[in-house]
Amino acid sequence: MENLTEKNSILEVENLNLAYDDYQVLENVSFSAKRGKCTVLMGGSGCGKSTLLKSMVGLLAPASGKILVDSLDLWSVDQEQKTSILKKYGVLFQGGALWGSMNLVENVSLPLETYTDLGENEINDLARYKLNLVGLSGYGDFYPAQLSGGMKKRAGLARAMALDPNILFLDEPSAGLDPINSNRLDNLINELKVSLGITFIVVTHELPSIFDIADDSIFLDGQTKTLLDQGLPSHLRENSEHERVRSFLRRGTPIIKN
Amino acid sequence: MNYVGNTSNLPKQGESTNSFFEFVREGEYARCTLKGDWSVENNSGFEVRREWASILENYPTIQIIKFKLDSNIKWDSTLVSFLHKCRNDLGALNKSIDFNELPSGLSKLLELSKATLSEKKQNEFSLSLELIDETINYFRSAALSIFSFFGDWILSVLRLLTGRSKTRFQDFANSCRACGASALPIVTLISFLTGLTMAFVGSVQLEKFNAKIYVADLVCLAMVREMGALMVAIIMAGRTGAAFAAEIGSMKLNEEIDSLRTFGISPMEFLIIPRTLSLLIMIPLLTIYADVVGILGGLVVGTMVMDFSVIHYFEQTQVALQSMWEVYSGLLKSVVFGLIIGLVGCYKGLHSGNDSSSLGRAVTASVVVSVTIIVVVDAMFEVSFSYLDLR
Repeated sequence: MENLTEKNSILEVENLNLAYDDYQVLENVSFSAKRGKCTVLMGGSGCGKSTLLKSMVGLLAPASGKILVDSLDLWSVDQEQKTSILKKYGVLFQGGALWGSMNLVENVSLPLETYTDLGENEINDLARYKLNLVGLSGYGDFYPAQLSGGMKKRAGLARAMALDPNILFLDEPSAGLDPINSNRLDNLINELKVSLGITFIVVTHELPSIFDIADDSIFLDGQTKTLLDQGLPSHLRENSEHERVRSFLRRGTPIIKN
Repeated sequence: MNYVGNTSNLPKQGESTNSFFEFVREGEYARCTLKGDWSVENNSGFEVRREWASILENYPTIQIIKFKLDSNIKWDSTLVSFLHKCRNDLGALNKSIDFNELPSGLSKLLELSKATLSEKKQNEFSLSLELIDETINYFRSAALSIFSFFGDWILSVLRLLTGRSKTRFQDFANSCRACGASALPIVTLISFLTGLTMAFVGSVQLEKFNAKIYVADLVCLAMVREMGALMVAIIMAGRTGAAFAAEIGSMKLNEEIDSLRTFGISPMEFLIIPRTLSLLIMIPLLTIYADVVGILGGLVVGTMVMDFSVIHYFEQTQVALQSMWEVYSGLLKSVVFGLIIGLVGCYKGLHSGNDSSSLGRAVTASVVVSVTIIVVVDAMFEVSFSYLDLR
């Protein structure tokens, strides 16, 4: 069990089956995410990317299979251990999912208040620092409803980073952002990865983003309902065995492979 | 638009002409020229269907139909959807269709619409074992989720009492203000008028027995035993219960509940406990207040209309209240009502679906369900009190 290669991966998914009641979404998915790297989950719309993410962050119980975080199975440990795993997580939802009744500083502060014994001023400073980090300095007293979509996403990222997580899960971070903001967000992800050593797991189907941030990627396929291929996106684009993966990474442009 | 029809000539055998079709048969093979106004504005669906059906009826032996457009035709999506339907209909009858002579734009549109997924068939309603099974399953899972919700609530209260909860006092205080102090105006108005109305209704009856002063007894006992608690509960179900359901339901809609969960913060402890507990505490207080205001409402009628002195009315009220149990029984009921309103509102909000119409349904259901349960529970209380000789 305890060999060196395994230590390298922080999150492992083993033979995962996901279903909504009777409707099977994904079958037999296995992969691992390497520590301090960015793993992109890609695939066409409706292939189960977001469902897989939901299951990994503890919102949707899998029909079968394991999700191991530092060798602990998220779905079979008791509530206390699950909470301690979740504390290492940061999650950015598609729409930001900020708590509407609180302003941005309060949004970022809540996890800190819940899990740390820091004083009010320290928490406030820390929350404003996280907001600065995502380029939202001066917006601390704004309420989510007063922000644009892109700002909500960045604020959501600041909140996801509140507890200095080991793993950050991002659900379509650049969807709906203009090219410049989208690029800024990608750069931010790359910077955080290098400077803080955070492991990223990103659900996206924005090609420029994928090539920019991914160190590793998995391709989920809606037709076969399983993981089709895995690897560095630029490598997959040229060398994947599967026509669907190659054409996805080329925006469907037909390719001839010798 | 203009019809290009050969109306001057009578149709020959195997040919038919009408406003939308020109049909020429050659053995098993037929040529169909489409003409006329095929646009949405013309609203010609019915006529087209009738004419097309009569053509199919007249020529049942035809195997291949070749379509082409008349040069003066005016068309939009109506035509495309008609041809799409034709292709499906004729395909089902094992006949072929030929679109080769259609303009390229139109055939491209048809090609696009061809590549659709087969639509899911709606389940037909049938009274079968399966349906009964589904119904039982539905009720079982509903009962299961209600009990697990209630169990979770009790556990969270226990955690709160042992100081291991993440419930924040500030949320509790905010909620107390929202469902307590802010409700005072409406509670004042309703309970004052309730007391006033009861005094009027009672005075007419009691006057017949020359026992008008017993209006004070009537108003006082009715308020503290029954109307105070019931009126406040119904106000709070419409006001606060609906607000809980709407608030929590829209948080669910925005994935805010999910984001709480991913931080390991239980929505039960963070959202539901402060709300339900504040209601549980505020409702008896509001009920005491409503009792007093209702009695004052009766007093206004007693002094202004029936000409009793204030002292006289109050003394009679005091006599009527033989023991404090009369008040306590009303408060006991109000605590139970408060629990019902809070739990139903939060449960409905938390279990609303992921779209805005189901949020509306959840809010409606929270009010309807809690008012229903309140009235039923109130009746149960009164029946048991009278059997236990507590009245």
